[in-house]
Amino acid sequence: MDKLIFELQDVYFSYLGRYPALCGVDIHIRRGERIILVGANGSGKSTLLQMLDGLIFPDRGILKAFGGELTEGRFNDDGFSKTFRKNVGLVFQNSDIQLFCPTVKEDILFGPLQLGVAKKEIQRRFDELVHVLDIAALLDRSPHQLSIGEKRKVAIASTLVIDPEVLILDEPTAGLDPLTTRHIIDLLLAANAAGKTIITATHDLHIVEELSDVVYVFSQGKRIIRHGSPQEILSDSNLLQANNLIHMHSHRHRGKTHIHPHLHIYHHEEE
Amino acid sequence: MSALSFLKGAIFADEYASKKGLLQSLDPRVKTVTFLFFIIQILLTKNLFILLCLYALCLLLTLFSRINVGFFLKRTWIFIPLFSLLIAIPALFNIVTPGEPLITFTIAGLKLSITRQGLFGAALFMMRVTTSVSFAVLLSLTTRHFELLKVLRVFGIPQVFVMTLGICYRYIYLFVEIVENTYLAIKSRVGTTVHYTRGQHIVAWNIASLWNRSYQLNEAVYQAMLSRGYRGEPVLGDDFKIMAKDGLWLSFVITLSAALAYVQYYLLV
Ligand SMILES: Nc1ncnc2c1ncn2[C@@H]1O[C@H](COP(=O)(O)OP(=O)(O)OP(=O)(O)O)[C@@H](O)[C@H]1O
Ligand SMILES: [Mg+2]
Repeated sequence: MDKLIFELQDVYFSYLGRYPALCGVDIHIRRGERIILVGANGSGKSTLLQMLDGLIFPDRGILKAFGGELTEGRFNDDGFSKTFRKNVGLVFQNSDIQLFCPTVKEDILFGPLQLGVAKKEIQRRFDELVHVLDIAALLDRSPHQLSIGEKRKVAIASTLVIDPEVLILDEPTAGLDPLTTRHIIDLLLAANAAGKTIITATHDLHIVEELSDVVYVFSQGKRIIRHGSPQEILSDSNLLQANNLIHMHSHRHRGKTHIHPHLHIYHHEEE
Repeated sequence: MSALSFLKGAIFADEYASKKGLLQSLDPRVKTVTFLFFIIQILLTKNLFILLCLYALCLLLTLFSRINVGFFLKRTWIFIPLFSLLIAIPALFNIVTPGEPLITFTIAGLKLSITRQGLFGAALFMMRVTTSVSFAVLLSLTTRHFELLKVLRVFGIPQVFVMTLGICYRYIYLFVEIVENTYLAIKSRVGTTVHYTRGQHIVAWNIASLWNRSYQLNEAVYQAMLSRGYRGEPVLGDDFKIMAKDGLWLSFVITLSAALAYVQYYLLV
């Protein structure tokens, strides 16, 4: 339980050497933990997740995964690459990018086929996911002709089917209806109970409490300014407000103007 | 804009391919091979009667595949004038095809006559084009396009190539959507009366941004493939299955071809 799987020290990254995206990030992630990243738009969440998935590498600073330093060169080794890809799966923020096969079915099967998972095992996981995510009717359709929420479900299935030790999800519930959101949270919690590490970036404060042991807050400065338990972070309304996670809400009520923080987290329960 | 929608409809619609009809239920490999075989027969035969038989077969298959015959005729006859009339009409006349004159008339001092051989040749040509185009259209209507792509693999074309084609196909669709959405966005923001020169600006900007986007998309998709374990050589599942029905279809095609060959060589000649 106490084993570190990701370790970042003072990591810097910029796109094309011009657009800074991470400016001195430190983060430690242990096996079996549930991690949530929150922060304003453009604060570097997606960039960090892609780095954890071994797709981009720091300009400066140290990135360690599973005890060794992660560099681009190591992925030239077929064995390492295969093990890493089997162990770490990423659901992209943009499902249009993640889905590139002609049919939904092929897209879901793409990962395990590349990684050489046994046919029987693939079939078992496939059937289970199709059932849980309720996507049987979509299997023969083209991913690009689905609704945004349907695409998201397929994207999630195409990563979960790899059955990785570490699941990285970039806004998995954006655009999903409440029931589907519930199913996905349950799926992730079950995976976590089975010992998987779950790292999620989200704007949806509803799911924070359930999907986190530790919450990291990204600032506009593209670094982590706070981390702590979900209770701690969610109750600090100044912090949340400073990072665009809640906003002041003013309305008139019996001739008086009320101003109070509008926490989206309690929004639905009050309705 | 309507040209774009037409293109989208013509290239990407697979409503007929997903219907449950006779041809849709066949293995795409078997279907493609037999259709190629039909087309070769059509191109080799010099017999109008056989062409008519094959055309009738094609229409019958259309019916059994639950395709609206009116729609099918429209779809095929769009292409035919393009090919045939331009080539077939000159062939009618004695300048191109010498022979027995049927009708003779004079245009601008030039004595022209339609010859019997010319007429027969033109009819044969028209019929050949019509029938082979019909078979090609029928194949493309009843088979999903990615399946046609996969069929290429049967002919020994490498997987990487087939997969790349598939991705291209998918991104052409995405681009059509982007262009369409951009036009809608412009329309919603500036209304339909965009000044001519401004309109040009928007279009130029649009093409530049399309290039840009395609480049970024390319890179992002590649990352997404890497993330799921892609190592430069895709492993694709093979879910084509040849079933009893395909065997039946294959024997039907062979019997029919043999019968037509018999008719052609022993009865008519
Ligand atoms: N492909 C790219 N090229 C150039 N700059 C980029 C690119 N992708 C992201 N950036 C920049 O990097 C910074 C961090 O972006 P990132 O996508 O990581 O933010 P994010 O926290 O995921 O935001 P969001 O909540 O909107 O998803 C932003 O300032 C953004 O402008
Ligand atoms: Mg993001």
